[in-house]
Parts: sequence; C-alpha cells; structure tokens
Amino acid sequence: MASLPKRIIKETERLVSDPVPGITAQPHEDNLRYFQVTIEGPQQSPYESGVFELELFLPDDYPMEAPKVRFLTKIYHPNIDRLGRICLDVLKTNWSPALQIRTVLLSIQALLASPNPNDPLANDVAEDWIKNEEAAIEKAREWTRLYAKPK
Amino acid sequence: MSRVPRSFRLLEELEKGEKGMGPESCSYGLADSDDITMTNWNGTILGPPHSNHENRIYSVAIECGEEYPDQPPQIKFVSKINLPCVDQITGEVKKNQFHTLREWKRSYTMETLLLDLRKEMALPTNKKLPQPTEGSNF
Repeated sequence: MASLPKRIIKETERLVSDPVPGITAQPHEDNLRYFQVTIEGPQQSPYESGVFELELFLPDDYPMEAPKVRFLTKIYHPNIDRLGRICLDVLKTNWSPALQIRTVLLSIQALLASPNPNDPLANDVAEDWIKNEEAAIEKAREWTRLYAKPK
Repeated sequence: MSRVPRSFRLLEELEKGEKGMGPESCSYGLADSDDITMTNWNGTILGPPHSNHENRIYSVAIECGEEYPDQPPQIKFVSKINLPCVDQITGEVKKNQFHTLREWKRSYTMETLLLDLRKEMALPTNKKLPQPTEGSNF
C-alpha cells in the first residue's frame, strides 16, 4: 500500500491521544484509511442510552474529498437511511479540507441531537417525524434499546 | 491507490445502479433494501442483438460475500439460458468456465460481470445456441 499522508497520520494520532468525549475512532490494522468508529447517543436525545457503531473511510483524494461514513448500527433517524447512509452537509457540498475526521464525527453526533426531518434521506422516517414527533421519538428510543449497545 | 473497503465499494456500485448511470444493457440493485450487509443483489442483462438472445431480458441473482471485492461474487441465472458456462440445473455461472470470475480482479464490479456475460452470449460459438422458451426460470 502507498505510504499514508502525514495529515492522516497526525489526525489518527490525535484521535487516540486526545479523544473526543463520547467518540472513538480506531484504524483497521490492515487498512489505515479505514476506521471503526463508535458514537455515544447525545444526552437528552432519544439515542442517549446507546452506543452506535459506524465505519469511516478516507478516499485517495482526502482531504480534498470528504471522508465516507456510514452507520453500522440500525438507527431510526430522518437523516440516516436503512443502509446507514448519512445526509449531512459537511459530508457532501459543505465539505472543506479545513475539516477533519474529528469535526465530521462531532457533526454526526450533533445530528443525532437534532434530527432534521425537513431535509430527509429516509423519507418514510421523516414523514413519521413530521406527522407525530412524539411517536417517532418513542420509536427512535425503542430502536436504540433494540439495536445499539447499552452505554 | 488505497483499498476501498467492501461496504463503501458496494455503496458506490449501488449509487451507480440506482441512478442508472451505467450502460442500458444491464441493471442491478439490492435484493433487500433493508440489508445493511448488502449481500444479495438482483441484476438483469438485455440479450445482445443479432443473437438468439436478442430482446430477451435475463434475470440474475448475485451474492457478494464477506470477501468481495477481493473475491468474485457468486452469480446465478434466474431466467433459463443455454450457455456453456451456466449450470443447466441450477443456473449458476461456473467460476472455472467463465474467465471474468476465474481471473477476477479487485477493480471488477458487478457491472463488469454483467457486461462480460452479455459478451459471452454474443460470442460466435454461443450466439446461435438453441434457447429455452422465453420467460422460463431455473
């Protein structure tokens, strides 16, 4: 494999030495661009009782291109679809090379705290969310209990 | 080049398939849109012109295992077809009799596989093989 750019080495070191509270990111030994990630559900959100698994990959053009991230834990959220794909501006059009793995993961944690049903990826979930927010939040809580690891 | 992990590779293929960015002569998508492991896929191949396959649409089932794309997927025809590389009882494309599976490379995709099968149908030795009734399944 081609040698790893300095920027990625630096970011990885800092993720380990100075971790973000509630977030872990660990590169796979056989592919240092591929990270196993966990994010704790934010307090006062329907996800607060769970820890969610994700995977992150830094493409060849990183940091000119955004990291690719996906949830591996099933989650009921209007901006995350059934395959774990995430609808988040910083992963798409608002990506900038000034952002980092850590800022991306923080943005995802923030997305869990404030779902945005008006810019949905999972249309059926967003519809439920708009029609009956209370019931949707209850379902999100239930899925967290069913599929996420307990904190 | 870095090695794109299985899941992100399959997501790329899915997006290309969903948006219809591939060639018109084949298509593919997830068999179960809820399957977070993205293992089972459905595909179609439009029979090549000037052959006994012309205007037929063949359905195939593709299974991308844990080792995909380092290892080739398994692929079987759902629609009945008479081709030397296809097992006439199960519809399975036999790996050792089909070069794309036998000499699989990591850069190959499901699209490569479907297009190469279509070329196989159009080979001079294969294109005039008698074919089962259209619409019958294995």
